[in-house]
Amino acid sequence: MTAATVLDVDRPAPRPRRSFWRYWRGNLKGSEFTWALAFSVPYIAVFLAFVAYPVSYGLWMGSDPALYSDVFSDVIYQDTVVNTLIFVALGVNLKLFLALLLSGVFMRPGWVTKVMLMLFVLPWAVPQLPAFISLHWMLNGEWGLLNNALWILGGIEGPSWLNERWTALGCAIASHLWKWTPFWTVILLAGRMSIPQDIYDAAKVDGATGLNRFLFVTFPLLANLYLVLTLLATIFLLGDFNTVFFVTGGGPNNETHLLATLGIRNAFDLARPDLGVAVVMTALPVLIPLVIILMRKLKTAEVQL
Amino acid sequence: MALFRRRSLLQGSFGLAAAGALARPYIANAQAKTMTMWFAQGFVEDEDVALRKAVAEYEKASGNKVELSIIPFAPMRQKIVSAITSGVVPDVTQNNPGEILQLYAWQDKWIETEDVVETQRAKFSRTALSAAQAYNDVTKKRAFYGVPIRGACVPCHTWKSLVESAGMNLAERPRTWDAYFDFYKKVHDNLRKKGERRVYGLGFQVSANGVDPANLFNAFMHGYGGEGIVTPDGKLNLDDRIRTAAIKACEYLGGAYREGYVPPSAINWNDADDNNAFHAKLMVMDVDGTLSTEVAVKEKHPEWYFDEIVTDGLLYPTTNDGKPVTSLIGMTNAVIPKGAKNVAVAKDFLKFFIQPNVLQEFIETGLGRWLPTMPELAKTAFWENPKDPHLKGYVQQGLLGPTQPDYYVYNPAMAEVYAQHVYSKAMIAVAKKGSKATDAVDVAFKEIKEIFAKYPIQQS
Repeated sequence: MTAATVLDVDRPAPRPRRSFWRYWRGNLKGSEFTWALAFSVPYIAVFLAFVAYPVSYGLWMGSDPALYSDVFSDVIYQDTVVNTLIFVALGVNLKLFLALLLSGVFMRPGWVTKVMLMLFVLPWAVPQLPAFISLHWMLNGEWGLLNNALWILGGIEGPSWLNERWTALGCAIASHLWKWTPFWTVILLAGRMSIPQDIYDAAKVDGATGLNRFLFVTFPLLANLYLVLTLLATIFLLGDFNTVFFVTGGGPNNETHLLATLGIRNAFDLARPDLGVAVVMTALPVLIPLVIILMRKLKTAEVQL
Repeated sequence: MALFRRRSLLQGSFGLAAAGALARPYIANAQAKTMTMWFAQGFVEDEDVALRKAVAEYEKASGNKVELSIIPFAPMRQKIVSAITSGVVPDVTQNNPGEILQLYAWQDKWIETEDVVETQRAKFSRTALSAAQAYNDVTKKRAFYGVPIRGACVPCHTWKSLVESAGMNLAERPRTWDAYFDFYKKVHDNLRKKGERRVYGLGFQVSANGVDPANLFNAFMHGYGGEGIVTPDGKLNLDDRIRTAAIKACEYLGGAYREGYVPPSAINWNDADDNNAFHAKLMVMDVDGTLSTEVAVKEKHPEWYFDEIVTDGLLYPTTNDGKPVTSLIGMTNAVIPKGAKNVAVAKDFLKFFIQPNVLQEFIETGLGRWLPTMPELAKTAFWENPKDPHLKGYVQQGLLGPTQPDYYVYNPAMAEVYAQHVYSKAMIAVAKKGSKATDAVDVAFKEIKEIFAKYPIQQS
């Protein structure tokens, strides 16, 4: 007996090759396959019409390399990239850190906490547009609520919040935090609630209380969730339009645009949809890796809270 | 025996879906005389009422149907750009904003409308006829692509009551340009002396949003004798006369802001903010297009309309050497996009709509916010009403006095100059950054030259 023969004996018998039809139908038989097809077709049609087509159309519109030399040489775009980085960095981290702390507050028992939680989620519940438009008016330097309150309460002449780039951008970030912190707090609250009480009890026996309890029990168990939320919030915020558009309007002098608002400005104010798409496309080199990392982390997060 | 089995049910469903898809063209054909029209929502409801009335009268007279969409002012621009980009267009749309007509005519996106305009050609003003034309860079010729509906100019709106509370008399306001606006600085100073900390003398839109800042800057350019930055054959003219006027305009507008005569928030106003600020009595006077400021309060505050607010056409302040100021007219045109399905019905409707009696009712029902495009329509009891303190001066400025179309009519490059807010950047540089007006204008003119280089007009 040759060595080759021995190997042939040990190797499992080759599986018969499945035809394309068998592969396509999977294990479904007869009318099961027809039903599966009937239920899939609407979803596929919606996906093609509202996801595949618009994305492909956008990619096609922004495919001319000459557009990008126009975009990169635009001074407003250069400011916009800086604004977007600041907005995302501060917006995501402040929001999630606050949400992490606040979720701890809302874990406390008692009806007062429940009432506070109900009030706290109100900004998230109100529609975005009227909320941001109201904030725009409240921040008006001459007749806005904030400066009038400062004047009445302390005789203080408040600044023109929306007239300078950095104060206006700061107002946009603060508005975003006010609107969205409750949402992420509720998610982190749910995360905290899913940590079994047994673990805390065991930690207590070992002497872990107060800050140690948070540092060595809560945070390690929430770490994966926190990371996933950070990635998700970053992806959301890179495409944020409403906050800046309605709070600062991109002003003063086009100094507080984000990529999304600048894209809309170029597309419609300049009547150059291709240039608008090109601006938004420049976020893709950051967005795509983030989505990939998020997908990978989601797989891990399935088993680790 | 069961009537339906699973297989027959599925087959029947697919069959019905296919039959439905095939039946749709028949339904579309049945409505071949229905046309779609987009128009911007009015500042007051009466404007929309007037439009709906005109449409209803046409439907009754013709038997055709008009599917009218009244769209808020700002989103309409997005809707038109999206429609032209995607090719899914209405049969008629308003050119909102005005420069859309010339921008897309350049790209050969509109259907020619000379046959429609021809039906009333003798009655339209020269400015209206000029503003309905545009240069087509594909055919290399200028042609009619618009049908004039209504016009607007930029008057000055003033609170007489605030002038009086400053201890001054509005009747004493000077007639020449600088002295006229300096008068309101004096009102401002007097109000400050009386302890008024939140009322400003001048409502200048020194911002980089919307269309108001360009209108304001153009008005001041003309006030300083700087007419003709673009010639009627589409050539850019930046000679010494224009440059001097631009520097003076930049210095006055930016300087007034820097010196505190303009509300600080004006640096970030959009088109509606100055109206709101004026109604809140934040400033004594505002330079703003159309009579929207006045007609918006006519119903709720008739005492404001008739007694407290005064409208000065730009014929009231003359240039500093006493010459009348030519007003730039922003003209509302109806346009028919290429790809429209019912061009014949669209043209039929527009021929109906521009009949003098129809246009007259449309404009007058809308309270006179907009100007007629035919001089004969200014000689009606409505416009000559001696009890109305606003209409006569407004129509004198925008129709009967010296007028010209906005510069983007001559070359769409000017539309890009406005959209890029080149004038605003110059004003803001002087207002906030302490730049010299000469330097700010030099930077602006450099950018204007670069923009015009992209729009060469070979033949007029």
